[in-house]
Amino acid sequence: MRGRFYRLIRDLHLYFGLFISPFVLLFAISVFFLVHSWLPRLGSAVSTTRLVSALPLPGDLQTLSGRPLIDALKPALEKAGVSGEVGFVQHLVKEEKLIVPVTIPGREATVTISLTSREATIVTREIGLADALVTLHKSPGPHGPDIRMNWFYMRAWRWMADTTVYLFLFVSLSGIYLWYMLRAERPFGLLLLFAGGLTFFGMAYALCH
Amino acid sequence: MPSATEPIPPGQSESVARLGSGFARWNRKLHFYAGLFLLFFLWLFALSGLLLNHSNWSSAEFWKHRKETNYERDIAAPGPEVKGDLAQARQIMRALGIEGEILWTTTRTSPDLFEFQVRRPGHFFFIHADLARKRAAVRQADVNLWGVMQALHSFTGVQMADPRNTRDWALTSMWAFSMDAVAAGLGVMVFSSIYMWLQLPQKRLPGAVALGLGSLICGLFCLGLRWIF
Repeated sequence: MRGRFYRLIRDLHLYFGLFISPFVLLFAISVFFLVHSWLPRLGSAVSTTRLVSALPLPGDLQTLSGRPLIDALKPALEKAGVSGEVGFVQHLVKEEKLIVPVTIPGREATVTISLTSREATIVTREIGLADALVTLHKSPGPHGPDIRMNWFYMRAWRWMADTTVYLFLFVSLSGIYLWYMLRAERPFGLLLLFAGGLTFFGMAYALCH
Repeated sequence: MPSATEPIPPGQSESVARLGSGFARWNRKLHFYAGLFLLFFLWLFALSGLLLNHSNWSSAEFWKHRKETNYERDIAAPGPEVKGDLAQARQIMRALGIEGEILWTTTRTSPDLFEFQVRRPGHFFFIHADLARKRAAVRQADVNLWGVMQALHSFTGVQMADPRNTRDWALTSMWAFSMDAVAAGLGVMVFSSIYMWLQLPQKRLPGAVALGLGSLICGLFCLGLRWIF
């Protein structure tokens, strides 16, 4: 019975670990970009501009804000062929324009909609893989919970990010169990666990107090 | 991982096999040694990542439950030898007994008025110094453990697209270095696990399915979405 449980945990540790390893690498690599505020540019960012007219804009658009505004803009963005996560929409009252940022990991589009002419200027920038990793690392993030995750794929990403954390916690706990079953490795492992704990809590204490 | 009793494939010299099994043994040890040493760091980043992604959870709403204190202190106006905002801010912080990472959020409008923020995980200081009156008003906000965890997750001292904010506290640099080390340690653990898995012929197919599925989904988000849309 104990042997069967050990084998089950060992197999789950292996398969769940392999499943999440690309996600773990994504988070680990993007840490270097975020910590050093640096993004490698392998090629120049490609930017394109195009104009779209006759957008289907609802009449009460100027009275909307937040998520209802984003939902109301969806048909217009669809007509303009712009997909992605919509960010904070800026309303330029005097100019009667809306500036709508739309993001796909690795691509940014800025859609400037003229409310009077129902035209949109769309500037699209391909910003590359490193930017995509950073975007995914920070998504959904703590800001603007009412408007974020308005695109199905970013909602799916949130589920995947959560799944990665839950599986990661399982993998770490099962890893502790598997290590503990190796009697010969216990003393040195305990020493490392203690050293790691001391380093972590020592640093956290120094930072916070 | 093959045991020491497994037969050596024909044609493979004994020394190569010994080297291979030695590497496999140390690779395995490295995998769990790294995991054990980094365990608390990994749990912090995993749990705080979850909190950051669910800002509507009650435990994630640390700012609402902050404790605020306001006070004023006399300060010495920085002399002409103290040049630049950073040096002046450091002198004021010394006078106030505050340590932490300086955050520039406002542009200075007058040489006599100086506003800046100082942060350290769990504590936020909003400093408004009047150099002409030699007084500094401080609003201090202290947050709970959840707030500390979330602050530690992103406490790098730098911000993308904001070159004005650079690391100016030694402990921030140390924490940033530890973030790098944790990320590098995770990379080591991932690659060591892939090596260990490849040493298990009977687990290769199900392992390939798990790794392939993970890579496919992750690849969809990193690269695929740009191709599809």
